[in-house]
Amino acid sequence: MHKFLKTLIPFDIAKGLSVTGKHFGQVFFTANRRKVPFHIVSEYPEVPAKVQPRYRGRLTLLKDEQGEIKCVCCLACEKICPTQVITIEKGKKEGRKMPFPVRYDFEMERCIFCEFCVESCGFDSIILNHQFELAAYNREDFSLGMEGTGQNMFEPSHVGKFSVADD
Amino acid sequence: MPTPTLTQSIVITLIQCLLVVIFVFVVVPLTVFAERKVLGHLQQRLGSTRVASGHVGFSGWMNRRMWKMGRVPVLSYWRGIPGLVGDVLKLILKEDIMPAKADKFVFFLAPSISMVAAIIVFAAISFVPGTFFTLPAWFPFVGGLPVSGGIADINVGLLWILGVATVGVYGIVLAGWSSNSKYPLLGGLRSAAQMVSYEVPLALSLLAPVVLSASLNFGEMAARMATGMPAWALVPQVIGFLLYFTCGFAETNRLPFDMPEAENELVAGFHTEYSGMKFGLFYLAEYINMTVVSALASAFFLGGPWLLPFGLQGLLNPYLPGFLSWFGEPHAIFFVAKIIFLLFTYIWVRGTIPRYRYDQIMAVGWKYLIPVALVNLLLAAAIRCFAV
Repeated sequence: MHKFLKTLIPFDIAKGLSVTGKHFGQVFFTANRRKVPFHIVSEYPEVPAKVQPRYRGRLTLLKDEQGEIKCVCCLACEKICPTQVITIEKGKKEGRKMPFPVRYDFEMERCIFCEFCVESCGFDSIILNHQFELAAYNREDFSLGMEGTGQNMFEPSHVGKFSVADD
Repeated sequence: MPTPTLTQSIVITLIQCLLVVIFVFVVVPLTVFAERKVLGHLQQRLGSTRVASGHVGFSGWMNRRMWKMGRVPVLSYWRGIPGLVGDVLKLILKEDIMPAKADKFVFFLAPSISMVAAIIVFAAISFVPGTFFTLPAWFPFVGGLPVSGGIADINVGLLWILGVATVGVYGIVLAGWSSNSKYPLLGGLRSAAQMVSYEVPLALSLLAPVVLSASLNFGEMAARMATGMPAWALVPQVIGFLLYFTCGFAETNRLPFDMPEAENELVAGFHTEYSGMKFGLFYLAEYINMTVVSALASAFFLGGPWLLPFGLQGLLNPYLPGFLSWFGEPHAIFFVAKIIFLLFTYIWVRGTIPRYRYDQIMAVGWKYLIPVALVNLLLAAAIRCFAV
């Protein structure tokens, strides 16, 4: 009898309809509205993607309050890097006790964004930033160093133009 | 109120036809668009948000404008709508291929039968009882005359609707046969079997309102089902609605019963060989059929032009305070709102329930729907006998 009633009255269909209906309502009422804290869908290029705090973007060198590079060339990141994309050259600087990186090269092409380097760093001198758009048109743009104006280790990368909207 | 002459009443009927055709051809493309958006939302996507084109031409210009406007994060719900025009243009401009060994005349005839059978049903549907609106006095030739809510609210309206809707099966069968190809033939046969089987519970579930309201006139049935029913009639109305709507899915070949278009078994069912606007006619006919089924369901079970469904309006009306009397009267807007909600439900169910197997469809139709419809009919008859 129970099974017969269960066959006859479409409970399961109602359950499924409620699930999809909930999805519909959530997307319909919150899409693209950044003021709604937990919106599910937004139109990506127009509405910037919301990045979670633990998001792993591009490797960035940090500076302290005096504008000094925090890195002390312990080479921990270079050693732990599974794809060996970090190359550091030790150097000396006037008025600084700790070693100073003369060269800090980072090849983003091969980076797998595993964040081992940041975890291994004992001086909190590198982070993975929250940059979502890392694409570029040229291969050279992925080899980052301490020199250069745009593509260097201190600032976020240039965002590659990917649409007519950027003109 | 002046009595219209024969020519004047013909002109008024033409005006009504025009209004109905406008209604159909506004609702149907919007349903096609809504299908994409709603399906997307059900799957946590946004659906179509852009006109698909490059950077050139008119649509490219529109594209760039919209991208530019899109810099402001706004809810861009309607931005995919120009894609509809693209769809129609594509269907019209596409090459119309006819198989070499097809039966030319029947091949040509089948989509038109489908389309005509779908659209002609609207003749008997009355959107609001009595006068819909009165034409203004400055109107040439027919000024000051009333326009009634349906084109032809005939005494055998339901018979007409059921009969003409059944003719739509011919379109599908003939399309499958005349293509002279295996898959369309199989698809057409399946579809014919499915639609013929589901005609039975469909008609049986519609018999309950007929018995309860003792009429076959569309407007009268809607009025009596909405306002003239005892409280007991709620039960057969709810069951009848579920039955009728389920059968409606099968009749219109929509997704849980989407047999003719079973894509992994038959290529595309009966319309495999059709392309261009002939395919477009089948497509349109499907959506018009959806509108018809929604209109019937909302008229007979959901209270039609009255606000409350399942005959609750008649129970509420004596207690309705005077200042709310607008909600106690029939209005075309309620009817249209119900139709649109049922069309939404069509898409909602499509996004939720997977397709049945062919034998399962037949089993559901014959083993469950027909007995339940018969029991429902008995129940309605008992209520008619003892409670009304």
